[in-house]
Amino acid sequence: MSARYAVLIAAVGLSASLGASAAPDPESLIAALAREAPAAVEFVEARFSSLLREPLVVAGELRYGEPGDLERRVMQPYREVAAIRGGAVRVERDGEAPRSFSLKRAPELAQFLAAFGALLAGDAAALEKSFVVTATGQDAAWTLVLEPRDDRGRRRLGAIEVRGSGSDALCIAMRDERDGGSVLLIGTAAATPIAPDATLDTVLARCPAE
Amino acid sequence: MKRTPAALLLLALWIGGLAAAGAFAQRHLGVSSDLRLFLPAPATAEQRLLLEGLGEGPAARVLVVALEGAPPEALADASRAIVARLAGDDAFLFVANGELELDAFPDALLPYRYLLSPTFDRRPLDADALTAALAARARDLASPVGAFLEPWVARDPTLEIATVLERWQPTVEPRRELDVWFDRAGERALLLAETRAPAFAPDDQRAALAKLTAALAEAGVDGARMTVSGAGRFSVLMEERTRAEAQRLGLAASAAMLLLLLVAYRGIAGVVLSALPLVSAGLAGLAAVGVLFGSVHGITLAFGFTLIGVAQDYPLHLLSHRRPDREPHAVARALWPTLATGVASTCIAYLTFLFSGVAGLEQLACFTVAGLAVASLTSRYLLPALMSRASRDFGASAPLGRLATAIAKLPNVAWAGAALATVGAAIVALAPQPLWSNDLAGLTPVPADLLAADAALRTELGTADLRYMLAVEAVEDEEALAHLERLTPELDELVRRGAIGGYDHAARYLPSAATQRARQARLPDERSLRAALDAAAAATPFRAAAFEPFVADLKRARELPPLTAEPVRAAGLGARIDMLLRGADGERTALVTFSGVHDLKALGELAASSGIVLLDLKQAAESLVARQRARILASLAAAAVLLAAVVTFALRRRDRVLRVLAPMAVTTLVVVAALQALGISLTLFHLISLILVAGLGLDYALFFEHAAEDPAEQRRTLHAVVVCSLSTFFVFALLATSSLPVLRAIGLPVAIGVVGNFVLALLLTRARAPSR
Repeated sequence: MSARYAVLIAAVGLSASLGASAAPDPESLIAALAREAPAAVEFVEARFSSLLREPLVVAGELRYGEPGDLERRVMQPYREVAAIRGGAVRVERDGEAPRSFSLKRAPELAQFLAAFGALLAGDAAALEKSFVVTATGQDAAWTLVLEPRDDRGRRRLGAIEVRGSGSDALCIAMRDERDGGSVLLIGTAAATPIAPDATLDTVLARCPAE
Repeated sequence: MKRTPAALLLLALWIGGLAAAGAFAQRHLGVSSDLRLFLPAPATAEQRLLLEGLGEGPAARVLVVALEGAPPEALADASRAIVARLAGDDAFLFVANGELELDAFPDALLPYRYLLSPTFDRRPLDADALTAALAARARDLASPVGAFLEPWVARDPTLEIATVLERWQPTVEPRRELDVWFDRAGERALLLAETRAPAFAPDDQRAALAKLTAALAEAGVDGARMTVSGAGRFSVLMEERTRAEAQRLGLAASAAMLLLLLVAYRGIAGVVLSALPLVSAGLAGLAAVGVLFGSVHGITLAFGFTLIGVAQDYPLHLLSHRRPDREPHAVARALWPTLATGVASTCIAYLTFLFSGVAGLEQLACFTVAGLAVASLTSRYLLPALMSRASRDFGASAPLGRLATAIAKLPNVAWAGAALATVGAAIVALAPQPLWSNDLAGLTPVPADLLAADAALRTELGTADLRYMLAVEAVEDEEALAHLERLTPELDELVRRGAIGGYDHAARYLPSAATQRARQARLPDERSLRAALDAAAAATPFRAAAFEPFVADLKRARELPPLTAEPVRAAGLGARIDMLLRGADGERTALVTFSGVHDLKALGELAASSGIVLLDLKQAAESLVARQRARILASLAAAAVLLAAVVTFALRRRDRVLRVLAPMAVTTLVVVAALQALGISLTLFHLISLILVAGLGLDYALFFEHAAEDPAEQRRTLHAVVVCSLSTFFVFALLATSSLPVLRAIGLPVAIGVVGNFVLALLLTRARAPSR
């Protein structure tokens, strides 16, 4: 008798957890991510490269306004402002002359901008136009994988992985072809310290923090 | 018109011969539009430079392209697309839009970057320098810039590639938006394209222009428009415009002539008979030029055909002097002495051009002499065979008789000639503008506003002014480059002070071998480099082992032989090197060009203190024009003397000679005065027209003088000269309305001259006593 109850409870428990672990619907997930613009959010970015023995970590603020309008203000460990507006990128660092170049020359940035902008707007359709969207995980800890539809993009730039919890996107990871890439930690995730021996995967794995 | 079988056969043969000659000419004769054919050979180095610049030189081959009509991002895209499309095209030596793609650095020159870059001339490549560089690269990697710098960091952590690329940009950089050049207002994207073809090859230039427009269309930017400016573009524009105008004017002139001849001779026969010698003259002229010169210049063609306006007088005289009681042969024979005098003197006047030293004028002389000779000979010998006896005699015409009597009643106005001459001289002396135009631009048919727009665009792009230049003479390249390097600090000082906007010279692209070796010696050896790298990597997040490619490149740089001009040329910088470093073996000249000279005195002082020559090409141009003018005037003076001699030989009596020469001389003065009164300064083409005016005046005066005694002859001559002058006037008045300065310069003087010649010939050639 107790064995049968155990199985029943186990079955209920299993189904409960199964129900909770049904893959979230991408559209509703993305729609929930929508944020009102203009707004600002804290970020920490870790850059990985085969040239580096430890990740480059910068911290600052991301400000977003109109679609295609993004400002990345780095405040630690140095000051730098990169403004993307009207298809042009303008980078100004303290103590150096400003540089500007077209977004076309930085396809990774263009891709990131497209994804980030669509997520901010909660616009799943826009996202679907440029990427193949796959959602996994549960409501409390989900993962969106965005694969570029463009042939060249797929070859050179790789997929964007977005991890979050509930209606917050917390980590955005972009890998490049040379075993490097970057992870952008937003909002609450930005508080997590990054060890010198961290790799892209270890940082990503800790996101979202429990 | 005679209808015998012999006459008809002659007519058929003649027309057939003309058609064949015409077809041959069309197929085999090339038309050139190289303006340098109308300039004398250069005598000084400056003049040589100027003429090279006018056609063949690299500066003349550079086209400026402006894109507008779309938002800046779209224009920048179009600019990039055009460069990508045309970079390898063999119609262009280079197409640049200011992009500093590191990937675009020529592979062949990559190992040389440490020898080309001046970065380590003052600070060595040591641990401090590397630490600073790596720290900057680390920040770059963490920023959006990192995306395209990352592939280069391992190989070139100090980014010497970028330094060298920046040095190759003009020192006065145009405004840059979205990585490409824009104009100051930021509304038009600008590009530079250098064609392989010289500026004065309109067909090749047209092909290059077509490729540019095709590349824009391929870029697929809605609403984008392209404006191309430059010598090559202008030559195409002018060729099309000249052709269109020539056709329009030719049609109008032919129609007017046709009408006039129909009215004057009451029948189509008159038109046909006067056309035959005319066409023969034209084809004979073309044939002569073709045989002697190979091709004919467009301006010679224009001049030559209008010159035929003189030749058409000969058949007209023959037609007007026909009478029922004389065979056409006899009429021709009677007219021949006067005709021959006119032809001979005009031909001799033009023959003096053969000694002017100007190729275009030599062609003109050849064309004219051949044409006039053929026109007069065919009028004398062939035309009478086609003419039947006249049915009407213009000598008996009543209206003409009344006209002749009215003219005879005019008071003797021999003093009128003197009066006109005085007034004319006064106008010339008192006119505010200079008598002679020294401006080379006066010879080019390009409208002033196009030239101004072109100059404005070139200023924005920082391309060289081409007015002032410093010329450094040396035996070989190395010496010249070393001298340029010595000049560089002083030139930089001038830029800093604002005395000049920017400069360019060959040493910016190719340092002297001595400098390259010095830089090589300063590069660290492998051991010290690795030590420095280790220190720098320890201070930054980089791994020292990642920079093996950098170590390898520096090792190569230490062992390379110095770079010479050849590889730089082959890497695509040939255009700039060739322009700035030129000359024969043993006589090399290095030029320093400027964009924006604000303090000429400072530049002059620099030149004087360095012992080099400061060239002023504008002055060279003016001296070229003045020299040419001196030669032409000498030719004209010789022509005048010869003309007078021929007339004296033919007429023998002093008072007859004076009566014939006076109208011509006074009319010439009247024409010059009239042009001055209209505010026109005289150019080469005005001078040439004056000879034509003199030739016409001589013709009219000779015929009037010849007919002085016989009233019937007087009336026939009156008819002939009226028809001649009206037809000539129509043709040249039409030319005077052209939009092309050259055609206007031919048309206006002759139109004025025809009127003057007619009136003065009428008034001044009468014998003292009026005829009864």
